[in-house]
Amino acid sequence: MTGSVAAITHTIAAPSIEWSLLSPLVLVFAAATVGVLVEAFAPRDLRRALHIAISLGGLAGAFVLTIVVAHSHIFAGGKPGVVAAVGAVAVDKPTLFIQGTILVLAFVSVLLIAESSHDAFAAQAAAVPGSAAEREGLLAGLTHTEVYPLTLFSVGGMLLFPAANDLLTMFIALEVLSLPLYLLCGLARRRRLLSQEAAMKYFLLGAFSSAFFLFGVAMLYGYSGSVQLAAIATAAQSGVGSATLLYAGIALLGIGLLFKIGAIPFANWKPDVYQGSPTPVTALMASCTLVSAFGALLRVFYVAFGQLTWDWRPVMWGVAILTMLVGSIVAITQTDVKRLLAYSSIAQAGYVLTGVIAANTAGLSGSMFYLAAYGIATIGAFAIVTLVRDQTGEAAHLSSWAGLGKRSPLVAGLFALFLITFAGIPLTSGFTSKFAVFRAAIQGGALPLVIIGVISSAILAFPYVRVIVLMFFSDPAPDGPVVVRPSGFTSAAVAVGAAATLVLGIIPQPLLNIANHAASHLFVR
Amino acid sequence: MTGLAVGTLRAASTPPATLPATGVEHVAWLLLVFPLAGAAILLLGGKRTNAWGHLVGVAMPVAAFCVGVAMFVQMLGQPASDRVRSMTIYQWVIVSRFRVPMGIRIDPLSICFVLLITGVGSLIHIFAVGYMSHDPERRRFFGYMNLFVAAMLLLVIANNYLGLYAGWEGVGLASYLLIGFWQYKPAAAVAAKKAFIANRVGDVGLSLAIMLMFTTFGSVTFSGVFHEAPKASHEVITAIGLLLLLGACGKSAQVPLQSWLLDAMEGPTPVSALIHAATMVTAGVYLIVRSGPIFNLSPGARLAVAIVGAVTLLFGAIIGCAKDDIKKALAGSTMSQIGYMMLAAGLGPAGYVFAIAHLLAHGFFKAGMFLGAGSVKHEMNDEVDMRRFGGLDKIMPVTFVTFLLGYLAIIGVPPLSGFFTKDPIIDAAFAKGGTSGALLGTAALLGAGITAFYMTRVMFMTFAGERRWEADQHPHEVPPVMTSPMVVLAIGSVAAGGFLILGNRLLNFLGPITGVPPTSHGIWTKAGLAALVLVAVGMVIAWALYGRRPVPATAPAGNPVTVAARKDLYGDAVNESLLMRPGQWLTRLSVFFDNKGIDALVNTVAATFGGTSGRMRRVENGFVRSYALSMLVGAVLLVGALLLVKL
Amino acid sequence: MVTPAHFIALAVILFVIGAVGVLVRRNAIVVFMCVELMLNAANLAFVTFARMHGNLDGQIIAFFVMVVAAAEVVVGLAILTSIFRARRSASVDDANLMKY
Repeated sequence: MTGSVAAITHTIAAPSIEWSLLSPLVLVFAAATVGVLVEAFAPRDLRRALHIAISLGGLAGAFVLTIVVAHSHIFAGGKPGVVAAVGAVAVDKPTLFIQGTILVLAFVSVLLIAESSHDAFAAQAAAVPGSAAEREGLLAGLTHTEVYPLTLFSVGGMLLFPAANDLLTMFIALEVLSLPLYLLCGLARRRRLLSQEAAMKYFLLGAFSSAFFLFGVAMLYGYSGSVQLAAIATAAQSGVGSATLLYAGIALLGIGLLFKIGAIPFANWKPDVYQGSPTPVTALMASCTLVSAFGALLRVFYVAFGQLTWDWRPVMWGVAILTMLVGSIVAITQTDVKRLLAYSSIAQAGYVLTGVIAANTAGLSGSMFYLAAYGIATIGAFAIVTLVRDQTGEAAHLSSWAGLGKRSPLVAGLFALFLITFAGIPLTSGFTSKFAVFRAAIQGGALPLVIIGVISSAILAFPYVRVIVLMFFSDPAPDGPVVVRPSGFTSAAVAVGAAATLVLGIIPQPLLNIANHAASHLFVR
Repeated sequence: MTGLAVGTLRAASTPPATLPATGVEHVAWLLLVFPLAGAAILLLGGKRTNAWGHLVGVAMPVAAFCVGVAMFVQMLGQPASDRVRSMTIYQWVIVSRFRVPMGIRIDPLSICFVLLITGVGSLIHIFAVGYMSHDPERRRFFGYMNLFVAAMLLLVIANNYLGLYAGWEGVGLASYLLIGFWQYKPAAAVAAKKAFIANRVGDVGLSLAIMLMFTTFGSVTFSGVFHEAPKASHEVITAIGLLLLLGACGKSAQVPLQSWLLDAMEGPTPVSALIHAATMVTAGVYLIVRSGPIFNLSPGARLAVAIVGAVTLLFGAIIGCAKDDIKKALAGSTMSQIGYMMLAAGLGPAGYVFAIAHLLAHGFFKAGMFLGAGSVKHEMNDEVDMRRFGGLDKIMPVTFVTFLLGYLAIIGVPPLSGFFTKDPIIDAAFAKGGTSGALLGTAALLGAGITAFYMTRVMFMTFAGERRWEADQHPHEVPPVMTSPMVVLAIGSVAAGGFLILGNRLLNFLGPITGVPPTSHGIWTKAGLAALVLVAVGMVIAWALYGRRPVPATAPAGNPVTVAARKDLYGDAVNESLLMRPGQWLTRLSVFFDNKGIDALVNTVAATFGGTSGRMRRVENGFVRSYALSMLVGAVLLVGALLLVKL
Repeated sequence: MVTPAHFIALAVILFVIGAVGVLVRRNAIVVFMCVELMLNAANLAFVTFARMHGNLDGQIIAFFVMVVAAAEVVVGLAILTSIFRARRSASVDDANLMKY
């Protein structure tokens, strides 16, 4: 800093912020802030209703604004995208698609969070499990309505994460999306020790991975002198500077991102956290967080490292292969339904990685379609998990799901539908999306990866089919779980998930067209 | 016949151009929506809709009928060259080069079927309200019936073969569900499966034909295929024609895929009337006539169609002579009459119009007779053996009269329907010329005589003679909800044939689509007169055997032909020895190979993965520090690998 | 002569110490402090690179990181306190109900 006196006398030009372009983000954060005020000032018996209205309204409004932005600013000008907020945020077609996806998924997840007939969240998180204080809280009918603003803040971070055009903004977005999630994980009403353990594991490992991410940012900053993705790309193209810094930076940054998407060997947290968290939060993480993290991964690797495809590809091949195989193989022996879905999620992340590795427009559009289709189906699956309950809460152990098809054919049938789509059977969205990413990967010259992906899918089909067989061809235990009657919120979430699964399986073309269009010019630089 | 109209039509050799839909045709999709909605309401609504479900079930085909009539009236107001209308609802399949629009084609041919399906269908739905009134599952029955109507309408109004195929499979499904409607009866369950499997064989033919069309013409729309067809090689056209014939044989119960239709009578009688007499089984004829531009290019395929028709018309007639089950006798008759239609369709443009005319007339008189059989069965405590009937003419007068009119129509007594529609087929067969024409004509002529015999037999055994029923059976005339459809159908049985044929009404209407016969012979032809003589002979023989002397309560041993006919002319035996036994051997062989070879391999692989999984999950040991370690190791590997790649 | 390379080396060493600390320490608070050490190692790198490149970005980023780290402390301590109250133990190894 030179600190010249003359500079002080000059007025400081305010940065130009394109509020209209950022309006979806702003609306979600504003809704979150209003949620905090509601928590502070609204009477207790009104809070829940207000929160639900604000959350759903904010997310729906943000979705509408996203479409408006897409139409008025992007399509109208025929531009692939624009850079806003002094280069901090990129608003381009893929980002808008990803943000729209996140908003839809978040909306459906909030429906699950809002379910009141069997509250998922603790009465008083601060009360020690099993203590008198906890019982008092339960008797008083308390519940943590803070979950709504926390969710909104997290969704805000998720929206910013894939849009961040420089690595500092991306880091901030990463933390904004993560910190509320750490808290949400620990707020389960039942099995609170598991929930707290999940929060601690997620927090410690998440902070650990953030440190890697940040150190990677530092390395790249050292390499290029800037944290702008475009500047890094330019520097990498010119080839000046220390290659060590560049490649160490790519690897460390990649670790932070691969942690969030849950790629092996950075996915140990996923089964434990998915199992311990309140199931609506698990649904939020399994859908929105995954989409957001993949959005950021795609942007970083397509924009900043787009010129270095041949360098990062071999390593990503290894990660994708490990992720697909380990996820599907370990899923075989799982006995807890949420852990099974967690390992399934790991394997699915591996399939999307094949689309990332394709590094072409088809890969981008295929990945985006995959994420949208998988996200909505996985929320539906977790929604069903919340419905199958015994006296201790959710009946997590798979053995208690035996014969569910005889007791509740509809619920078991819908769960089977979601498992079938995860397995990628035709006429469900899972087949279309797998087809899209695998085709892109073949076009991108990654045929061996696709072969391993297909093998992995075949392995993964086994645990799914085992659950279906268990539900429909075993006799129910006499003291087995019951399927509770959900309120409209959960029913709506399940219905949306099932409908999207079938529609995207039978007539995928409209959404595929949108994804193709969104991906046609890749990301803006 | 005045040759004037025929002459002007023949001049227009090119088919009329396909025009965009107009007016009420814009809502042609309502034809599908009404019955589909009915099916959805009734099948998804569950028990809640039990109380009023049948009313919805009736209202939907009636509503579709109104739409059909509106389109028909509009079409009559258009010049003949403007009557082919097509509209695309949405792009159904978009895969690279393979593009199929989901579209509707409204032309004189499809409108004929729309009116038949919705008109006769509505009447049969009304009849079923009474017929099924004691069945606890009546709502489900109407749900399936509406599903059938929707699929059948899709079959006839689709503007491409893939849409037709979807409808084709849809009616197959509905037929399967309805034959097996009383699935607690083993015979019904077996019959449903038999129908389904026999139809699969035919469906394979149709699907192969569609695939061949796509590879040859690059299109599966009617207009696209017919436009390209003249450019294709003769062999390919013949192959497509024979494959289409295979499909038609399955759906229309023609030899050699005929065996399922007799068993299909296990379904409720309205099903037999609508699906297995009036509409679905005639889909094969529709397929052949619709594909006329293909068959016109291949005399070989046409001859195959005619031969199948001629063989089946005799086959069905002979079976009809020996059956004591009234519904099976009528089913044999259905096979036989469809044989006539196929024979006519196999004659090319000389016969297409007569095939459709006979099809429409048959829709009336056969549906009417099935409903009559249904009401007899309904009153006789589900007895179907005609040897246990007799003397019902006084007790069920309306049923008797309507059945009588249907009977006179089918055997071709002038001036009822069958006379006008069957005789031109016999005449056209002879007019084909050559040995083949003579043989086909003779078969058709013989068939007319046999038809008169077995139908007279049915009449005598059911309605005439002494009462042979049990003490606990108290037949009465059925309620008006059941008689009124029979009356309407009887009017059709009387008048439809004359209405369609006289003044060349149907010929002028369909001519632009199907082409017109090269020559016309007038109403009274030599073949027709010969047929009338044979009909009289058949009636007299039947009277001598069943009217003049009492009918024994148990069937006599009979001559070898009778024995064979009672066993459906060994259709099942042939299927069993030619297909089932070798199939079973093949199955046993593959089971052996599967157990010893493939299972062993699969089990080994599965055990390997299971073991690997069991060991790998131990890595997830629950310690957060261990997870951090794996991340750090991963980080070191990642950094190392990237640096190694580059440096 | 102390060059920027020395500072970077120090940052790397601090980062590794932090990472190893996460692995070897059992107390959750200490584990978390090790993570903070890693973040500060990154901060040191940022400031050093800012000096090398002669722009201010790195220094500003360092401030952002500090704020983020503070926010992380708030959330982290809340989680760790509640788990300590429930279990009377701050050892990360005691919390392993979920595994395999």
